[in-house]
Amino acid sequence: MQVAEKLSMNILEKLNGNIGEIALKLRCFIKDQVKGFKKKGVVIGVSGGIDSAVALTLCVQELGKENVYGLLLPEEESAPSSKTLGAEICENLGVSYEEVPISPILRSLNIYDQKEQIIKRTCPEYDPTIYKTSLVLPDFLNQGLLNVPYIRLVKDGKTVGKYRLKANDYLELIGLQGVKQRSRMLVQYMYAEKMNYAVCGTTNKTELVLGQFVKYGDGGVDLEPLADCYKVQIYALGKLLNVNEEIIKRPPSADTWSHYTTDEEFYWRMPIQIMDQILYAQEYQLPLQVIEKSTGLSRETIEKTQKHINRVRDTTEYVRATPPICYINK
Amino acid sequence: MEQIKNDIVDYLKANSFMDNNSSLKDNDSLTQNGIIDSIGLLELMDYICEKYSIEIPEDMLTPENFDSLQGITNMITKLAK
Repeated sequence: MQVAEKLSMNILEKLNGNIGEIALKLRCFIKDQVKGFKKKGVVIGVSGGIDSAVALTLCVQELGKENVYGLLLPEEESAPSSKTLGAEICENLGVSYEEVPISPILRSLNIYDQKEQIIKRTCPEYDPTIYKTSLVLPDFLNQGLLNVPYIRLVKDGKTVGKYRLKANDYLELIGLQGVKQRSRMLVQYMYAEKMNYAVCGTTNKTELVLGQFVKYGDGGVDLEPLADCYKVQIYALGKLLNVNEEIIKRPPSADTWSHYTTDEEFYWRMPIQIMDQILYAQEYQLPLQVIEKSTGLSRETIEKTQKHINRVRDTTEYVRATPPICYINK
Repeated sequence: MEQIKNDIVDYLKANSFMDNNSSLKDNDSLTQNGIIDSIGLLELMDYICEKYSIEIPEDMLTPENFDSLQGITNMITKLAK
């Protein structure tokens, strides 16, 4: 990128540009990868969110609806809309799909009970018949607070309590929650191998850079067509591909807590448009003045946010890493 | 104050990625020097709360209060009063 081009750039416009070309590139990628793996089609976990909707639509456009299989993989704490929106998009695209609840797997491993025990020891007044729960981090842009996780108790849609998690409880909770995505991975491979299909992932670039996926969970797939597209580009792709407006408007979420917790509340800690512009600016080493103009943030806030993102990137290196191999003849 | 600093350094030597033989200046960054990561930070908070019998209010969970020996010591001194 030339210096003059960098200086006059509006980052969001840049991110939202060339979406048609990107869609074509992604379709070619899907076809090449599936062919390269000598597979007959793809299995996709359809969550009712924008990422899986875009991946599913691209796969159907490129491979044909008869070579794509959708899996709805709900569990006890999933929002009911996840299932209905997931089924709707499969039906609209004419894709065969099946619902395979993963709650029995989670119950057999005692995941819900263990999670409840952690919540109970963190939040003394917790009663599952009264409260819903979510895991949140404090807002970053306005408060600049550290990445300290809190359990939030919600009653009738209102937050009634917030408790800081102890380190060992947080680690245990992350392990328990990860079983949800890892169970989905098991089911997807069970179907993919039966059908001689590949498993298509739905992780986007924002999630990849921030380590916002579960290693060998939603990160355990055969191809990742969206992993070089920032989340705002996924929305632009969704619009281009005529994805259902309800899916586009739905706040993104991992959907693993009884109270629907958005990615902004737990991962990004700032609006996605800001996060993606800063990530893009880091990727292309854009000058601060361009970021200031594009985001409307002060220089100080941008620098603070960049530091925060670098910390997240560093601490999630392990999540992105493939198992290192010790090459004995080198 | 010196006692608090010594306690924190002892804790970090035993529980973080800090080398036993290395020294830590009052204003050295714990994160930038790779001494603690986000989980290490949560563990350090738990240690501080238990050791000094204090609760850290959310608005004090800032990088300034946790990223250096001096910041941590100032915060504990303020809360333990």
